[in-house]
Amino acid sequence: MNNRIYSFLGNLLILTGVVVGMTGCSKTIDESQPVAYLPTNLDETAGNWKTYVLTSPTDVTLAAPAATNSTTYQAELSDLKTQSKTLTTEQQQAVTYWGAGAVYRWNEIARELSARYNLPPASTADGKYPVPDAANPLADPRFPFANPPYTARALAYLSVAQYDALVATWYYKKQYNRAAPSTVDSGIKPALPVAAMSSYPSEDAVVAMASYTVLKAMFPGEVPYLDAKLAEHQNSRLWAGMNVASDVSAGTSLGSQVAAKVMARAKTDGMSTSNNQSVTGGMIKDVQTRGLSEVWVSQESPARPPMLPNYGVVKTWNFDQATMVKIRPDAPPAIGSPEFTKALDELKTIQRTQTREQARVANYWADGVGSYTPPGHWHRTAANAAHDARYSEVRMARTLALVGTALMDAAICCWDTKYYYYYPRPQQFGLKTSVGLPNFPAYTSGHSTFSGAAAVVLSGIFPDQADDFMAKANEASVSRMYGLIHYRFDCEVGMACGKKIGSFATARGKADGSGL
Amino acid sequence: MRTHLKMMVCAALLLPAICQAQMPHDAIYMNKNAVCVAGLYGHSTWSQYWENSLKRENLNIGTHTTQSVMVMPAIGISKRVNVILSLPYVWTSTSAGNLLGQRGVQDLSAWLKVNAFQRGGFSVHAIVGGSLPMGNYVPDFQPMSIGMQCRTLTGRLLLNYKHPATGLYVTTHGSYGWRSNIRIDRDAYLADDRIYNVNQVNVPNTYDAALRVGVLRRKWQAEAFTERTACLSGDYIRRNDMPFPTNNAKATIVGVYARVQPRNIGVNARVGQVIDGVNTGQSTSYTVGLLYLFNWKKP
Repeated sequence: MNNRIYSFLGNLLILTGVVVGMTGCSKTIDESQPVAYLPTNLDETAGNWKTYVLTSPTDVTLAAPAATNSTTYQAELSDLKTQSKTLTTEQQQAVTYWGAGAVYRWNEIARELSARYNLPPASTADGKYPVPDAANPLADPRFPFANPPYTARALAYLSVAQYDALVATWYYKKQYNRAAPSTVDSGIKPALPVAAMSSYPSEDAVVAMASYTVLKAMFPGEVPYLDAKLAEHQNSRLWAGMNVASDVSAGTSLGSQVAAKVMARAKTDGMSTSNNQSVTGGMIKDVQTRGLSEVWVSQESPARPPMLPNYGVVKTWNFDQATMVKIRPDAPPAIGSPEFTKALDELKTIQRTQTREQARVANYWADGVGSYTPPGHWHRTAANAAHDARYSEVRMARTLALVGTALMDAAICCWDTKYYYYYPRPQQFGLKTSVGLPNFPAYTSGHSTFSGAAAVVLSGIFPDQADDFMAKANEASVSRMYGLIHYRFDCEVGMACGKKIGSFATARGKADGSGL
Repeated sequence: MRTHLKMMVCAALLLPAICQAQMPHDAIYMNKNAVCVAGLYGHSTWSQYWENSLKRENLNIGTHTTQSVMVMPAIGISKRVNVILSLPYVWTSTSAGNLLGQRGVQDLSAWLKVNAFQRGGFSVHAIVGGSLPMGNYVPDFQPMSIGMQCRTLTGRLLLNYKHPATGLYVTTHGSYGWRSNIRIDRDAYLADDRIYNVNQVNVPNTYDAALRVGVLRRKWQAEAFTERTACLSGDYIRRNDMPFPTNNAKATIVGVYARVQPRNIGVNARVGQVIDGVNTGQSTSYTVGLLYLFNWKKP
């Protein structure tokens, strides 16, 4: 009998051991960190590439640098030697962090801010939803509510500012052609790979200041956080022995000038009227006139005003308003039509039989509250692809500007379509959701439109990965059916329209003088 | 060494004590070779919750309900060493809104309970428990998920004094719970107000402490208890956000427990009420169980 007891206890100990052994006790999170690289191509003629907001790099000015044999420069070099000689652990970490890429890191920061601010306001006791106030960004509700259209726009302006500023940077680098400090003085030991090109102005300082300026406007409650990031990025170039102080200050000036011009466009692009709720009455009346028997109604309690019903008026990047109206999808099936019933029945079946794999796909692409939204997801995909391809800063920025403007165009077109058709969600016909229900009309699917647009642009830039991007886009699209919040026609039509939207950005890229 | 389960109509005569309780948090032991199987039904609801420390309702949830059925055998290895196993099936629902209820087999738990020291009515018990997720449920669709997908390991020290003549007892225990990291379907998530660009989530470890006062007699038991369970770290639900596995959930619970078991068949019931919390629902819960004592026939 004792044997049996001991064998049982033995088994239990083994079970305990298995539990511990399988896990280890470590609870650290293994996040892979991108590393610095030397670009495969320096893109030395990028100063001639077509910009978005600047008409020419000479729209902004930059004074000629001091010669490398001047006493001014020699004093800077000597200062740089001191600064880069011995680093604290924190300084080393900052060098490594920013060394992964200036555009890459600021895009990542912007995605993080978007996620942190992607929270719908809570209702007040009297059942109202207060509107976030840009003048008081940290009050409840915080400004902004970084929903998908907001985030698409914030990331688009960020990428455009970075791109235009870097084109100007490349222009002035070529014009002034001042060598890197470590090339001038072999006593400087740079901590990062040094490209064989002019280091005046510092492209890092340009990107830092341009990004800072855009993000400060988009996330006005984060000024202290952004101040710290800006200072760290600027200092990291000195700690790394990569730039002398005047490289950095010139870059800061250039980045600031370009970002000011880009933000001037943002201020007048129509965003200030995007949440004009008074337009919905007319929209509903129009769609009823066109024959829709049941219009979209907020499923939240208390009913929440729809998300940015007037976002469709915001200025697009890669085509004009008339083109947008032309590519607006045809009307969805009438409520109760056989096509509608078939689509609704398909969702009812998924609700009954949702597989774990369907749930996984729905969750992976949900990009809902507290996330960087689908535009952020595709920016991440684009930034990682460009990083893997060892793109230069200017080509990385071009990639993100092409993708980013396409994503914002997708947001504008899709929101225009959503409010033009004002089509009800499946939840108005009894469906539940496993991902959370967005508070705006169904037709067409935003995820599908975003994904179609981004995948087309990325496929043009990285043709060898086209199949993968398209597969991702299709999965993102169908994920909304698996999550039970979109009919198949929302997804398929949205995807087709997204691809059209993306092709405009691709065409722009073909004609931007890059030869890419 | 053929064994089979035998109903305990006559076993009651062979064993000095009948089927006692079977919890990993009491000082009661099965006799050697006795197995008491509990079939439990649990029901827990909340209509208010603490979003961080803000107590609120949510009209898009209404009343949130978690139900479970569970098989829980307690096995007497010896009179001072017991093993308790449990495996629940759990399902969730809400009375309002449109969040899809989740259901499935949750986590298998195993507890080893040892009466390490006994003098008179005073005893000290060392208890070790572990759990493994058995179902492939989604862990981060809160508050609808049926579990967290953590592997856990819990160490507990339990002190008990029972007055031999009256059966009056007081029990206190404290535990440390280790919880593994989990993997979610997404490859980026927000926690601690930052983005983690990875699918791995750090779930905080836990502690608990409890005080129980009751009467334990041959055929029945009655108890009042208070429990405090909390995480040792973690982040806090943001304004109007949903919960997440990284949250530092804390709760103080008061309740009563009773068991009646005149013979091999018995019933038990537990009622609990969360009276204070952070990042958690203000749950009212009850569990009812049917107990049945089996005996291993001796060779």
